[in-house]
Amino acid sequence: MILANGAVYDTAKQQALLDALPGALTRTLSGPPLPQGTVVEALDRAASLLEAGAYAELLPDVQLQGAVSLAARMLHREAVTYRLQTELPPLDAQVLPEGFTPHRRVYRPLGVLLHIAAGNMDVLPAYSVMEGLLTGNINLLKLPQADTGLTIRFFEAFLELAPELRDYIYVFDTPSTDLPAMQHLISVSDGIAVWGSDAAVSAVRQLAPPGCRLIEWGHKLGFCYISGYEDRTLELSQLAAHIAATQQLLCSSCQVIYLDTQDMVEVYDFCKAFLPVLDAACAGIRQSPGAAAQSTLRRYTAFLEHTMAPEREEPSVYRGRCSSLTACEDASLTLSGLYGNCLVKRLPSKDIVPVLRQTSRYLQTAGLICEASRRRALTESLLQSGVTRVMHAGDMSDTYLGEAHDGEYALRRYVRICDIS
Amino acid sequence: MSQRTRLFRHTRPYDTDGTRELFVQAVRENVLHHDAHCEGYHRMLAACGFSPRSLQTESDLERLPPLPTLLFKHHRLISRPEHRIVLEATSSGTKGSFSRIAFDLGSLACGTPMVLHTAAHRRLLSPRPVNYIILGYKPHRGNRMAVARTAFGSTFLAPALHRSYALQYRDGGYVPDLEHVLAHLTAYSRLPFPVRFMGFPSYTYFLLRRMEERGVRLMLPKHSKIMLGGGWKEFYTQQVDKPVLYEMIRRLLGVEESHVIEFFGAVEHPILYCDCPYHHFHIPIYSRVLIRDVHTLEALPPGQPGLVNLITPLMTAVPVTSILTDDLGILHEEPCPCGIRSPYLELLGRVGLQDIRTCAAGAAQLLGGEGGLT
Repeated sequence: MILANGAVYDTAKQQALLDALPGALTRTLSGPPLPQGTVVEALDRAASLLEAGAYAELLPDVQLQGAVSLAARMLHREAVTYRLQTELPPLDAQVLPEGFTPHRRVYRPLGVLLHIAAGNMDVLPAYSVMEGLLTGNINLLKLPQADTGLTIRFFEAFLELAPELRDYIYVFDTPSTDLPAMQHLISVSDGIAVWGSDAAVSAVRQLAPPGCRLIEWGHKLGFCYISGYEDRTLELSQLAAHIAATQQLLCSSCQVIYLDTQDMVEVYDFCKAFLPVLDAACAGIRQSPGAAAQSTLRRYTAFLEHTMAPEREEPSVYRGRCSSLTACEDASLTLSGLYGNCLVKRLPSKDIVPVLRQTSRYLQTAGLICEASRRRALTESLLQSGVTRVMHAGDMSDTYLGEAHDGEYALRRYVRICDIS
Repeated sequence: MSQRTRLFRHTRPYDTDGTRELFVQAVRENVLHHDAHCEGYHRMLAACGFSPRSLQTESDLERLPPLPTLLFKHHRLISRPEHRIVLEATSSGTKGSFSRIAFDLGSLACGTPMVLHTAAHRRLLSPRPVNYIILGYKPHRGNRMAVARTAFGSTFLAPALHRSYALQYRDGGYVPDLEHVLAHLTAYSRLPFPVRFMGFPSYTYFLLRRMEERGVRLMLPKHSKIMLGGGWKEFYTQQVDKPVLYEMIRRLLGVEESHVIEFFGAVEHPILYCDCPYHHFHIPIYSRVLIRDVHTLEALPPGQPGLVNLITPLMTAVPVTSILTDDLGILHEEPCPCGIRSPYLELLGRVGLQDIRTCAAGAAQLLGGEGGLT
């Protein structure tokens, strides 16, 4: 299905709609700019309706309802206004030093923003478009293959609330493999916000012409760094709860637990002590049969791999009933076995920067467990290595209003700053 | 003659009762061979506390540690010297890693009668020449995918007059060309020879949809057959229910449901599973299927869903005697009206594909679920 100018069309109409797109975009761009107040008002109304359960029939999944209720809170007028003030503060606020001529600076939208959304969260494609709308852009959304039709149904309902936005939202279900269509969408865009894996980002990089602004929201790897404890029992159980709750599937999820040591014996001891804690946390999580099977397969495979070549310096696998810990000799930040199968490695604090720098493009969230007196210094080392969020272990994946996204304010990437003499 | 050869030369592919003891003996012989000739396999069995000599009855099979298909994507386990390997086949993972499975002459020699007996049972062997529509890969030197070889191999079940391929090799890669196939199909339909389709259900469906959009309806000659195999792969979101596909085949090609035959197999378990006229995948005498609990990997009684564990003594070059796939399935023991008495396997789908919701770097590829039952 395709959504264009407020109407839903069958995918078979794609070519005709793509052919008409440049003309339609030019007409909208030639008209008056989209007033920010209109968008804020529409988002506020949508948030209220979401909270009141107006779209409940669109959201069969309880987990999804949780994500939507968080998204709704973020879309209310107060939250949106706070974000706009934080991310796009007034440009003429500062007084110029003497001798410099003042001139006016204003934010303007990039123009046409193409969102290439990833399928990792059902609400993400819609959320990305909301950010584009807030910054006054016309939004072309290419849906991920995994989209179940939820996004188009949501925008259909949203445009009934705010028909004045209908020329600012286009949604296409074009598969990424349809290169001519992708190239057409890219050719009419001033910026591309791409969400997804390295492969998705690389593909878009190859297609985008020079000068087209690329806004990459790539996948990341989270980790936890442990150097002593304030309350060992509490902090380890919080870390275990985080691993179990996120199933290690998020950018911010803990894949590797680093211990501030050179000694492998400490790593083995940690695994033995932490495994029951992690296993208890994972046992409390209701997994789908598919996820449980994935987790079991990973754990069993890791165990067999370990037994196959014991004379090599292979990692040691500690298997619980529904989780596992793998003690590794190396220190690199890598993806774990997911679903409660975590890696444990050595990383003396003096090596934080040199080791983590090697994977800086994947860095985002670090959970930090340490003695209070060391917190400031270790935080600084982690930030120096390229990490953009240093959290307590339990709240590695929490979302905060006004927080930056991968070290950037998203709205800033979707606008131009224009100078007027 | 080895137990394996006796088993694979047995002419009745669903005579489970008559081959029960032979099957267990062939598996025992096969596990002893791998245990003696593959160091990694020996270590795994030892670490799991399993002795091949303890394999005495069919109920012992569930104690034989199954190797996950995932393992073959990262490790090359071999139980034969390199010079005895005559062929390597790969799973069709295109994005990430894939399994490479080696065949020796003995395994190929046993595989051939199996294919012929199974095909004969489903009345697929015919001296009548046919035109083939291959909704899959056109063979190419660089293509080692088992699915391409199976499709090509299937065109020898009846003499081929002509073969038309949907996936053409151009400029170093495969591109779909349904127009080319549709033109051939239209021409074939006017000839007096039967037509046989072989290939991915996804491309078969795409071809039928194109015919429907254009209002093209054909009446294929008598004895035409539609053979499906290879799974939906990256098109899983567009997967349609089997009855929908059968109805389209009847309406647009004039081929009745009883002439639609589906296959599955896996590169790590190269046994030909062919559905019965009621579309049930009965387990042939060459293999056993166990369903394992998704948490504990313990074998489950029939009727319960779990991970699919496939067992066969066919392969002597790679220790794939018992493999654990990343597919979920159910084993049914209810009687089937087709008359075959062996249980049948219902595949519920690949582990994880529908579950994946991840933004951890590299995780989507890791969980991509490539390979497995096709």
